Amino acid sequence: MSEHNQQVQPQKNKPMQNERAADAPLRIGVYICRCGGNISDVVDVDRVAETVKLLPDVVTAKVHTFACSDPGQQTITNDILEQNLDRVVVASCTPFLHEQTFRGAVSRGGLNPYLYEHVNIREQASWAHKHDPEGATIKAIRMIAAAVGKLHHVEPLEQIKLPNHRRALVVGGGIAGMKAASELAGRGIKVLLVESSQRLGGQLNDRGRVYPTERDAKELVEELARRVRTHSNIEILMQSNVTAVSGFIGNFKVAIRTEAAGIPVTETTVGAIIMATGFRPYVPQDGEFLYRTEPGVVTMPEFLQLLRSTPDAARKLTWNGRVIRNIAFLHCVGSRQLDGVHEPPPNGRLNTYCSRTCCTTILQQALEVRHRFPSVGVFDFYRDIRTYGRGEENYYSAASRAGVTFFRYNGEEPPRVELTPRARAKEGVLSVTLNDTLTWGTELSVPVDMVVLGTGMMPGEIADLIEQMKLATGEDGFLQEVHPKLRPVEVSVNGILLAGTAQGPMNIQETLAAAGAAAVKAAAMFAREDVELNPYVAEVDLSRCCGEALCVTQCDYEGALQMVSMEVEGATVERAQVNAGLCVGCGACVAVCPNRAIDVNGWRLDQFEAMVDGIAAAIPGQECTPELVNIH
Amino acid sequence: MSDPFVPKILVLATDKCAYPGADAVGKAHQEYPSNVYILRVLSPVLFPEDFYLRAYSQGIDGILIAACGSDCPYHGAYDRLAVRIDELTSRMKSGGLEIERIRITAICTVCIKAFLKEIAQMSDHLYQLGPVNRELAEQLRRESVERMQAKARFPRLAPALQGGLG
Repeated sequence: MSEHNQQVQPQKNKPMQNERAADAPLRIGVYICRCGGNISDVVDVDRVAETVKLLPDVVTAKVHTFACSDPGQQTITNDILEQNLDRVVVASCTPFLHEQTFRGAVSRGGLNPYLYEHVNIREQASWAHKHDPEGATIKAIRMIAAAVGKLHHVEPLEQIKLPNHRRALVVGGGIAGMKAASELAGRGIKVLLVESSQRLGGQLNDRGRVYPTERDAKELVEELARRVRTHSNIEILMQSNVTAVSGFIGNFKVAIRTEAAGIPVTETTVGAIIMATGFRPYVPQDGEFLYRTEPGVVTMPEFLQLLRSTPDAARKLTWNGRVIRNIAFLHCVGSRQLDGVHEPPPNGRLNTYCSRTCCTTILQQALEVRHRFPSVGVFDFYRDIRTYGRGEENYYSAASRAGVTFFRYNGEEPPRVELTPRARAKEGVLSVTLNDTLTWGTELSVPVDMVVLGTGMMPGEIADLIEQMKLATGEDGFLQEVHPKLRPVEVSVNGILLAGTAQGPMNIQETLAAAGAAAVKAAAMFAREDVELNPYVAEVDLSRCCGEALCVTQCDYEGALQMVSMEVEGATVERAQVNAGLCVGCGACVAVCPNRAIDVNGWRLDQFEAMVDGIAAAIPGQECTPELVNIH
Repeated sequence: MSDPFVPKILVLATDKCAYPGADAVGKAHQEYPSNVYILRVLSPVLFPEDFYLRAYSQGIDGILIAACGSDCPYHGAYDRLAVRIDELTSRMKSGGLEIERIRITAICTVCIKAFLKEIAQMSDHLYQLGPVNRELAEQLRRESVERMQAKARFPRLAPALQGGLG
């Protein structure tokens, strides 16, 4: 633990606006989000609003189509000011998405952000109980009742401030990592760039010309590498791996091991981490489309290598001493795999996703073959052509014009690569056979000399980092962002950002855009002197602490909780004291105190009990409405 | 007039694992009964025995502690939690409260199937058992608080602990 941690104590109960007399009833505002139908298609939000108005001290309950939108937040802020609200509930999506958003809205209304409670009625109600709208509606009401109950027991809290280390770690020295590093360095931020191999540029080093600019990838790599090598803000560690990560935004402790002998493990502190760990090319299994069985079957990276090593002046394309007269390209090898059709890769998980870059790469290479070796016949076997990016469709039309012959297969029936029967072997030793859907399922067999497998992308092998950094991965195994549209380069751990294909298949343009976004996000984090953390740490209520010291025995964090001597009513006594900089808020101490003298701020036992009561209680107004009560 | 019994299930779900795990169930549009209520907690190690017993006394029929297991981000918390739940379970057993009403399990951020299975299992148990005996739970809660007080060197009954059914 670093020394600066020791000094912080939460500042509590700073007077805020909206102060009220101690005995005055609360004024709670409840906001229910339709989420554009995601919630309101299942949950009867109007009924929820009408019902929760009957809860104690709820003075307003409103429905909004998108509570997280600017107008949605403005409604909350305005109501706090105009209706003098002193507690706010928003029932919307998961707190991981918008709890911070609404704490911000509440703050702008002059209210302490911890007088806010978030209720998750999307992931945990409308989406999970789609076929039970009545049940989902009742659940939403009870969850809001729980939140309202909790808000009767909350107090203002102040965030804990820790110094922000203005230095970023970029993991991976491919184009994504180099781009992110140079963007950050250009903004005056120190960067530590860690690359596991001996060269910067990663996969791009071996790619030849790249679409849609047709520039040599080497130029791109060299341009970026020159920038990062010469920038005084960037420190590069080659042949190095990040072996340990702990801490949090502004204060990550990392350990880096360099392969060269004699170099000790580097331990250092950074404020943000950019994951630019890239992808692994899919390697077909032995025998998949005769790969590694027949030398004429190669992967796209291997074919690119062949083209690059063939001199420009060469009239013929030769491979393994064999002149290539006809060549087949196969799309979707190792991508868009189907259960029951494809053998899962060794990790047991089918690559069900589209690798996105292979179609255009195949068409680009098909064109290159036709241009450089006009006598070579090119046959393209596709499932779908997905030339989705700007300028990429041109490759398809150009390939069609250049005489590339296209065949289309059904995903359930991939083409078969076989040895050509002896009688036709002169035409090509290999043949690709398919039921061609462009000719209404006709079985066609094309003899060729070479088959190029359009292999896709696989997630990088970074299981250790994923484990240590508590990163989420998607079903595809790639690192997962918080939100694909709203927060595309952030992960659920604050201070860690994603750049490039570590997140999923991307082309170079997308990779560089993501890397730039991640760098700017990190730079924005560094704009603040301090990092603000939720004040979720234990606190002792001295009016209840009797010095039993039971809590201290339960704490596994050295220095976080100890007994200290103090004067109480003239006598020197021992009392428990929390060091907020070292307390992690686990609450192991809370359960053992016979006097309930210690609690975790923001997660107090009385707050949980109030929530349980809200869930267990009858739905307000269900048994007898207030009108009926009045009649009696 | 009485409606058919629908058990109320409380899930104490950890912020780092089970709560996002429960979110993942919704995101995948997988369904589970709507009588399942999920409370987000940093670590369930926080809760004293009387918290659980109090929940039963308020009419919660079953409690699923959905923790992080070996992924627990806090040193020692999971082991302490396991011991605490063990003690609670034996207390419930000796006190006559069905132990099927409490269960501790680990649910990860993507453990959709495990979450659904745990809910289904708890649900089955509770339909068989019927509603919780709230009076018995309240009696056990009081005993639990008294036992805690009796062990203290400086006993001082905090008012919050004396209260009965809310």
